[in-house]
Amino acid sequence: MLSMRYLKIWVGGAILLVLCICGVAAPLLAPRDPQAQTLEDRLRPPRWAENGSSAYLLGTDNLGRDMLSRIIYGSRISLMVGAATVIFAGFVGCTLGAVAGYFGRTPDEIVGKISEIFLAFPFLLIAIAIMAFLGQGVGNLIMALMLSRWVQYCRVVRGEVLSIKERDFVTAAKALGGKDWYVLVRHVVPNTFASVTVIATFGMAIVIITEASLSFLGLGVPVHIPTWGSMLSEGRSYINRAPWLTIFPGLAIFITVFGINLLGDGLRDVFDPKLRRQR
Amino acid sequence: MAKSENGVSRRNFLKRSALLGASALTAPYLSRNSFAASRDRVTIFHSSVADSIHPYNHSSSPIYGNWQHVMEPLVELDYDKKDYVGVLAESWQFQGNRWTFKLRKGVKFHNGAPLTSKDVAFSIEKMRDEKGGSLQAPNFKDVTEIQTPDDLTVVFVTKQPLAIFLDRIENRFILSKVAGDKFGDKLYDNPTGTGPYKFVSYQRGGNMVFTRNDEYWGSKAAIKEVVFKKVTEDAARLAALESGQADFVNNIPVHEVARLQKHPRVRIDQVEGLRMFFLAFNMAHKPWDNKLVRQAANYSVDAPAIVKNIFDGIGYPCNGPVGTNVIGADPKLKRYPYDPNKAKELLTTAGFPNGCDIQLYYSAGRYPKDREVCQVVAAQMVKGGFRVELISQEWALFWDKQGVNGGRLPFYYIGRGTLTDADTLYDQYFRTGTTKRTNYSNPELDKLVEEQQKTDNQKKRVAILHQAGKMIMEEALFIPLYNLADIYGVARNVVWKKRPDEKVLGWDMKIK
Repeated sequence: MLSMRYLKIWVGGAILLVLCICGVAAPLLAPRDPQAQTLEDRLRPPRWAENGSSAYLLGTDNLGRDMLSRIIYGSRISLMVGAATVIFAGFVGCTLGAVAGYFGRTPDEIVGKISEIFLAFPFLLIAIAIMAFLGQGVGNLIMALMLSRWVQYCRVVRGEVLSIKERDFVTAAKALGGKDWYVLVRHVVPNTFASVTVIATFGMAIVIITEASLSFLGLGVPVHIPTWGSMLSEGRSYINRAPWLTIFPGLAIFITVFGINLLGDGLRDVFDPKLRRQR
Repeated sequence: MAKSENGVSRRNFLKRSALLGASALTAPYLSRNSFAASRDRVTIFHSSVADSIHPYNHSSSPIYGNWQHVMEPLVELDYDKKDYVGVLAESWQFQGNRWTFKLRKGVKFHNGAPLTSKDVAFSIEKMRDEKGGSLQAPNFKDVTEIQTPDDLTVVFVTKQPLAIFLDRIENRFILSKVAGDKFGDKLYDNPTGTGPYKFVSYQRGGNMVFTRNDEYWGSKAAIKEVVFKKVTEDAARLAALESGQADFVNNIPVHEVARLQKHPRVRIDQVEGLRMFFLAFNMAHKPWDNKLVRQAANYSVDAPAIVKNIFDGIGYPCNGPVGTNVIGADPKLKRYPYDPNKAKELLTTAGFPNGCDIQLYYSAGRYPKDREVCQVVAAQMVKGGFRVELISQEWALFWDKQGVNGGRLPFYYIGRGTLTDADTLYDQYFRTGTTKRTNYSNPELDKLVEEQQKTDNQKKRVAILHQAGKMIMEEALFIPLYNLADIYGVARNVVWKKRPDEKVLGWDMKIK
């Protein structure tokens, strides 16, 4: 059913699905090895442009590597980093937020102070500092992004839990003899999922952009792994001579973030009770 | 509306300041034509201009070029002849551990005082004054005594015979002792030399201005005024050149060359630079202790292809252990040809039939296009049977005791700047115990290096350097890659004599 109500979710979800397929099936889809250099064919324009070669649909980069293959492989890193960060940051943030909100007092104080420290730094700056400290690598990148993203989940979940724990069904669960942890995990936390889903989708978009920014600054993954951000970075000095080096990775980032934002927007519409009533 | 006492309303004040601001912003563009190269003045925007008024507070080639307008050295390297020529010294002699210089007669300082051996001794004392801020003292570390037997003779006594002393004395500029006595602590605010230009003014991080010395002892400069301005941002220098604010800029990025060649005001001049790029092995690490593996690596790297494709052909692949402009370069030597199959064979013989795992270290962003170069090298070496892991490190980490200079990196990409004499490279990288950069030790090579350092006859010395170079290539002690071009953007009506050492000299220029 493609009703207007779910249109955003459908379109956003479809984009994300295509990207996931690209990422998972990259070795099957990519026409060439993304690492293979053919120096004689460097800076070939896309196929349809003047001088383009039918061998390279989106042209080649400054080292004669196939742009299309690199973009397909690049989706792997973007999606993997995006998803992993959202999952880890979500888990850490939600756990700490729930504990802080539910138990209050000392745990709340501690978590509150830590998250304030993290909030005090600009998000990209923390990521840069952590990457400079840990060195390049996919694992380190996810770590750095997670450390700079968990606070948001923590804050939202804490707020939600504060309001949910005063509700009647929680009192009822406690009255029936439910232990704190049982009530928290079984009755309180599941009720925060709607908001978490929404910030997770938006968060993923931000993470993908940050990964690209860090790779652009040369602080992302090692140089031999193709990522959209590092492609942008390497193509930057050729922007006059070979604009396709920056246009295609830029478009890839744009479409991905657009799709995810659309999905997040759609989910918010569905979950938001106020918007639901207005329709 | 509130009016102030002198009758300027706030609105009027704002209007006037807006007008003033707008005219201040547009003025440089309107007056552009008058700012462009007149016959009398050349404006040079350079990425490196003196950082202090202290003339000995650096050891950098472009900054030597700044000060050389005002002060002169005893000798200078002539890149065409590949030999030293006298500037303030008329002749010199090397005997045992003594270097004797005869000074030129009739040379006068800008303050009218004649040049004497006392001035030389005085200036060198200032250069050796590390507490006073000089960074040029190490050049005299082997000098035990400076004698001034008469007004026009200076004798340097060294610990041991030192054939390469001319290289050390090349950029040591002579100040006036009379000015030193007169100004005392303020000497450096009043730099007084013998040069073709007189010092006018200096602003930190700003302009350095020189005006022609009409009483110069040599042939007079054509341009009356030379203005240096430090601009570190590539794009800013380019914009200044294109708009006519600057007549001469350095370091044009390779990828801008094609565009600028079509520019109506600008000419692009390339010179083979003195910075040599190479891949160094640390032979204390496996597998680089094995000569066959080193040769295999040499066979598998195609430097001409890198120059052609990454640097758009604007570069000079090395044919031997040093570039062609360097003293001691052997025109008969050839680099290892690109032959991945031969590399594989050698690896098999060396005991790596299934390929060999190596790490290539570099410091991304340090040198032009280093990231691309290393990626290409890695891909080329894979074809030669190596499995390459690329590792980029922060420069401080890469260069310090944790890295190259602690002997920790087995294989790395590096550039050696201002390399004018092959001795510098051989001594620094391949002589036993000089550094841990390569950890190489070969008594035969050491002997050659020591021998040429003692040889006073330049021809004989070069012949020994050729021998050493041949040995270095045969032993495949490193992978020489290329010298890049120094790329200058010059206003079309400026004529100058190109030089490879990054100095920009006003008296070598003319404006048509």
